[in-house]
Amino acid sequence: MLLDAFYALLDVWVVIAAVVGVIAGIVIGAIPGLGPTMAIALLIPVTFTMSPIPALILLLGVYQGAIFGGSISAILLNVPGTPSSAATALDGHAMARQGKAGEALRIALYASVFGNVFSCLVLMLLAQPLASLALDFGPAQMAALMLFALAIIVLFGGGSILDSALMTLVGITAGIVGLDPIEGLPRFTFGSFAAEDGLQLIPVLIGLFAMSEVLLQAFGGHRQSRPSAEVGSVSGHVGLLAMWRMRVTLLISSLIGTFVGILPGIGSTVPAFVSYGFARSRSRHKETFGQGEPEGVAAPEAANNAVTGGALVPMLSLGIPGDAVTAVILGAFMLQGLTPGPFLFQHHGVEVYAIFEALVLLSIPCVLFGLMMFKGAVHVIKLQPRHLFPAIAILAIFGAFSVNNSLFDVGVMLGAGVIGFLFRRCGFPLPPLLIGLILGPPLEESLRQALLTSGGSVDIFLNSPIALGLLGVTALCALGASLQRLRHRRQGN
Amino acid sequence: MSYHQQGFDALLFHRITIALATALLLVTTTAWAEPFPSRPVTLVVPYGAGGTTDISARQLAKLVEPILGQPVVVENHPGGGGINAMRSVARADPDGYTLIATTSSPAFVTPALRDVGYDPIQDFLPLLNYSGPYHGVLINADSPYRTLDELLEAARNGTRLTYATAGALGGAHLSFTALSRETHADLQHVPFDGASSATAALLGHHVDIALVPAYCDLVNDGRLRLLAVLDDERDPDFPSIPTLAQSGHDIEFPSIVALMAPRETPADRIDTLRDAFTQAASSDAFAQVMKKLNQPVRLMSGEALEAVIEKNLTDYRELASELKK
Repeated sequence: MLLDAFYALLDVWVVIAAVVGVIAGIVIGAIPGLGPTMAIALLIPVTFTMSPIPALILLLGVYQGAIFGGSISAILLNVPGTPSSAATALDGHAMARQGKAGEALRIALYASVFGNVFSCLVLMLLAQPLASLALDFGPAQMAALMLFALAIIVLFGGGSILDSALMTLVGITAGIVGLDPIEGLPRFTFGSFAAEDGLQLIPVLIGLFAMSEVLLQAFGGHRQSRPSAEVGSVSGHVGLLAMWRMRVTLLISSLIGTFVGILPGIGSTVPAFVSYGFARSRSRHKETFGQGEPEGVAAPEAANNAVTGGALVPMLSLGIPGDAVTAVILGAFMLQGLTPGPFLFQHHGVEVYAIFEALVLLSIPCVLFGLMMFKGAVHVIKLQPRHLFPAIAILAIFGAFSVNNSLFDVGVMLGAGVIGFLFRRCGFPLPPLLIGLILGPPLEESLRQALLTSGGSVDIFLNSPIALGLLGVTALCALGASLQRLRHRRQGN
Repeated sequence: MSYHQQGFDALLFHRITIALATALLLVTTTAWAEPFPSRPVTLVVPYGAGGTTDISARQLAKLVEPILGQPVVVENHPGGGGINAMRSVARADPDGYTLIATTSSPAFVTPALRDVGYDPIQDFLPLLNYSGPYHGVLINADSPYRTLDELLEAARNGTRLTYATAGALGGAHLSFTALSRETHADLQHVPFDGASSATAALLGHHVDIALVPAYCDLVNDGRLRLLAVLDDERDPDFPSIPTLAQSGHDIEFPSIVALMAPRETPADRIDTLRDAFTQAASSDAFAQVMKKLNQPVRLMSGEALEAVIEKNLTDYRELASELKK
């Protein structure tokens, strides 16, 4: 079967589809606002007339490419192209500022490829058993897991715990706007129909990270013209040895990414930050995180790319998509006559395994074209801010509008930009705000769903070993973090 | 009180719009002379690109282009569960160049429950219905209940059963609310974020029942059991499974995917569009695509569709006012 599947890949159209998909994905991912979801949705009509394997490889290539592409703009400009690359910006951009942009990009690329290959191997070997694991996560377990993720990000994300906690709460509060997930009634919309969808993630992300960067540049008064000294050192080399030193971080991050990818509705941003928190808490030199630590680039990149393979597990074996991207890919599979679900592996085994193998092999064009593109992309650093930032502002406005074709979202983006600018000026970290906005609504939804199914009793958390275990680990993490602080303070005195 | 106020404002706005539109028409009467359609037609899809509603609408658009002799541009306007797109199409120029491919929720469920800024009957003219996924009453295959009656019997006698739906205040939620009122069964609603999450919750035994579409493969695989369909007719894939009405309950949730135009669109243009889209929707090519998407082709004339919408709008309004009591 595996060999038959491999022969199916020996087709010039498959190679063309892979190359075009990966390149298109990287470019689209690098532009703020144009995520993989939109790119794939727009490409589906193109694939109508193609045969199944090249068609799906084209779309999955875009998916893989876009998740990596987001980190290019995150590292070079401090403007994450996709929400999941916001964590990469923390250390990636710090490295770029030190003139190590080339190194940061290469670490991001290799870590991405590692995460990708890891999760695709998991998908290939364990799709069926893992799909039933995903089903064990009902509302109660999901609520406990999300609480755990929030705790990790607040406790180990770096910086002051109080700052992070405050920003997380701001994010959660922002998530309250919109239709109540259980009652279906509007909250804090002030009669506006457009606000019923709530504050959408992409406009808020673009505002918080891209627009606020523009405002910082406009009102900052520093870095009026960039020294061109940085450019000489952009072609940093990263050897296998450097990556080998990060093997544990890469492995843990890929595991986190794959696992979270399998579960519905969390997406790839949260595992990126959780892995970053883990890498930092494990590290012997925590203080370098946020100042340009290579492991701080590798961890989130491995995690957010590992989500791709994980997210395909429930989509393919049960026909249940976990997020917007996989929902769109599900549609593409159906159009090709490969209906995901319990019969997919029986009826279309060769095609499915060909696609799995292709997912692993897509790493080759990813590395080749990634490295080629770096050569051009690093020159972005040479652009003067006065040329660069107006362009980013325009992209931000288009990006926010294009999500729902709605002007309301542009307003949200600009508002988030001003708020992000003020928070950054005051020294508050923005990533916890983003995480609060991402996790707040589903946390509320699962908590209330769990209590509805149990008739209002908290026993539903205590009777589930998964939920109880997660809550226990959360408590241990909080304890560990406070002990660590205490010891640190003693040593300091 | 504020609702009356809003209703009045909307009416006033509507009248002004009509007055302005009439004035404009008087000025541009020459435009009537040109054949219809003489420029591309926009087909608004009220959901994001890539979903089944979007893909089927794009296929229909592609098939209708040679018949109309003009391109049909599909425009995605997601948000608000479809009501944002409906509101903007309700206010579009009624010249036949703007159409919408809509579904049950924005057509007659949400407008019955709260103010959405449009009236599905007064603002829209249905052209035809071309699809509508069947929604089933599903339980796990290892569940002890064999029929809907057994299930309701248990829920009447002290067993609290939970049912998952794709979201709060959807058609599935409302039909089961009506069912539990009618039969005094203890049924607890648990809304999820979309039908696939609701299906997953059932498969993982976190809820007892799910009211969802796209169940065919999971039922055939022996994981789930189909007890009834919420629609007004049986699912042709499962001809032995009754509808709720055939099970003795006067409740239905007909699922529609329909084309609509703004109400004031001239009759001759409506006829042109209706003929062209009906021809495209009844073609073999369209049937093949829908089969791949696991979506039924359900053709219904505009008049019949209007009656369905009107009936359900009234039913749901009644149910909603009962719920508020």
